[in-house]
Amino acid sequence: MPGVFTVASREFSDILRSKRFIILVAVFSVVFMVGIASIYLTVLSMAQGLGIAMPTGFLGRAASVVASSMSYFAPIIGIALGCDAISGEREKGTLRTVLAQPVYRDTFISGKFLAAFLAVSIAISIASIVDVGGSIAILGVTPTSDDIARLALFVVFSILYAMSYYGIAILLSTISKRTTQSVIVSVTLWAIFTFAIPIIASLVAYLYRPISGIEIIQRQRPGGNATRPSPEEMRRIMEEMRSRAAITQAINSITPNYHFTSIIQYILNTSVGLMQGMQGRPNVSLSIYQGLASAWPHILVLALVACVTLIASYIIFVRQEAR
Amino acid sequence: MPEYVIETYGLTKVYKSGGSMVVAVDKLDFTVEKSSIFGLLGPNGAGKTTLLMMLTGLILPTSGSGRVLGYDIVRESREIRRRVGFLPEGFGFYEHLTAEQNLEYIAALNDIPKLERRKRIEDILALVGLYEVKDRKVSGFSRGMKQRLGIAQALLKDPELLMLDEPTAGLDPEGSKAFKDLVSKLSKEGKTVILSTHLLFEVGPLCDSIAIINRGRIVVQGRVKDLVSRLMEEEGYKIHVEVRGDAGKLATALSGLDYVKSVRMEVDGIHIDSTKDIRVDVVKLASELGLEISSLRVEEPSLEDLFIRYYKGEVV
Repeated sequence: MPGVFTVASREFSDILRSKRFIILVAVFSVVFMVGIASIYLTVLSMAQGLGIAMPTGFLGRAASVVASSMSYFAPIIGIALGCDAISGEREKGTLRTVLAQPVYRDTFISGKFLAAFLAVSIAISIASIVDVGGSIAILGVTPTSDDIARLALFVVFSILYAMSYYGIAILLSTISKRTTQSVIVSVTLWAIFTFAIPIIASLVAYLYRPISGIEIIQRQRPGGNATRPSPEEMRRIMEEMRSRAAITQAINSITPNYHFTSIIQYILNTSVGLMQGMQGRPNVSLSIYQGLASAWPHILVLALVACVTLIASYIIFVRQEAR
Repeated sequence: MPEYVIETYGLTKVYKSGGSMVVAVDKLDFTVEKSSIFGLLGPNGAGKTTLLMMLTGLILPTSGSGRVLGYDIVRESREIRRRVGFLPEGFGFYEHLTAEQNLEYIAALNDIPKLERRKRIEDILALVGLYEVKDRKVSGFSRGMKQRLGIAQALLKDPELLMLDEPTAGLDPEGSKAFKDLVSKLSKEGKTVILSTHLLFEVGPLCDSIAIINRGRIVVQGRVKDLVSRLMEEEGYKIHVEVRGDAGKLATALSGLDYVKSVRMEVDGIHIDSTKDIRVDVVKLASELGLEISSLRVEEPSLEDLFIRYYKGEVV
């Protein structure tokens, strides 16, 4: 174990001092602040337009922007830390120098994991603190104890999410001969998960389950038949939409992004909130326990992705030879 | 009975490369005596690096066994790396750290007590001539400076045995001389030093014993002096003589001697190729002919001759 801490301590201080890490945390902190400011301006203009007072509450407004920013930030920080973790050391020859000492290969990679976990935790905590501080300063709201608890869970699951991408990146770094290779594959994979899969999922759902109810809805348009959809037709439309959503979800569920978004929706109640608050309807929000109970399959998948990739990197690295 | 720091028995390493098998080290049996400077010589790709990696436990052998300082190279590799200072080929340092910070990390990995670290690092940096630049980032170091830092990391644990893979690569003549002086000094202190290189002229003259390795096999191994004698016996003696007076008369007389294969007259004197050391006969003949010998010597084969001869596999 002392060897693990020695490796972790050197790695951790390297990460914290690296320009890459500092720039990423700074850029995302700014993005979070800008997001909160834009929420403030939107809410202000909507409230003025509707002639109502500024709504109160905390997470309902800030959470959606935090969640969407974090869904980009966490994978990027995970990939940035993992993509050259092993291949970079191999290329620079530092792996040989370290392994020429009385250090086992498992000690080395465990130290790397530990350092990355600490660095990811710090980065996400900083970004979240900036967000909370920004929300208090810009939106003029005070978080309740429930908000703080939800935010703490949000930080925990964001770390888990970042570690799942770190696991993917370090696995690629372990099996790649060159860092450029692992960077390209990691970023491509992230882009596929983030942008391509949701589009593909919608397309597949559209092709497999076209919504016949569209014609019924079109009847309501000027020039169309003014007959309202019958209860039977409405039931069919709803069924088709549910079926379509199921296909989309099934395809999206191969990505860590989907599971993170789902967890955050349950924990932060981002699917309720702003608009309901604006329209004067009560927030039908889940309690923290209810949220966790609903989110547990997604938490499990995210934890599995992180664990499986980290364990695979560990096994592959330990079995590799320092040629 | 010599004490060995390294013993290997049938040590073999086969790499899988694509669909084919490459035998990097082939049933190697060899030993290294304690407190010697041992040269592992061979061309690039001969198997030297693979051998050193196996001896330090960084690569597992395909078959065979070996012991380093009495420890098994497979089961007790950590103990070996604790006691052996190893400079691997293609090593590197954390370039954003200073020389001292890099050595502090290496010291921590070797469990060197914190109280001892600072002094030991400073002493080693002074020994390799990097003390003045200890606070400079390694990214600003020349190749030679990095090489010296590599030697410093190998020495940091005060090892009983040093294994240096291509240690003079990148060193300028001054650095190379300083390195040789350092190796001689370490050997006098009782440390065993293994120098693996294809640059035999750089380190060969330092070595007490050598092994020439090619295609994963040791072609020849032994003390340099014994190998030179053996080569002279097998290849013949080259004797050079200079006389005052009529050298032609002596050359003619020498041609008639038994064991003499050829005699050549050249500007610098007479060159004799013989199957035996005939220096006594030369002196006798010169005296009989009334000639005064100004120089008489046997031209010993150089390390280069040894390398080329054994490397080509002409003598095994």
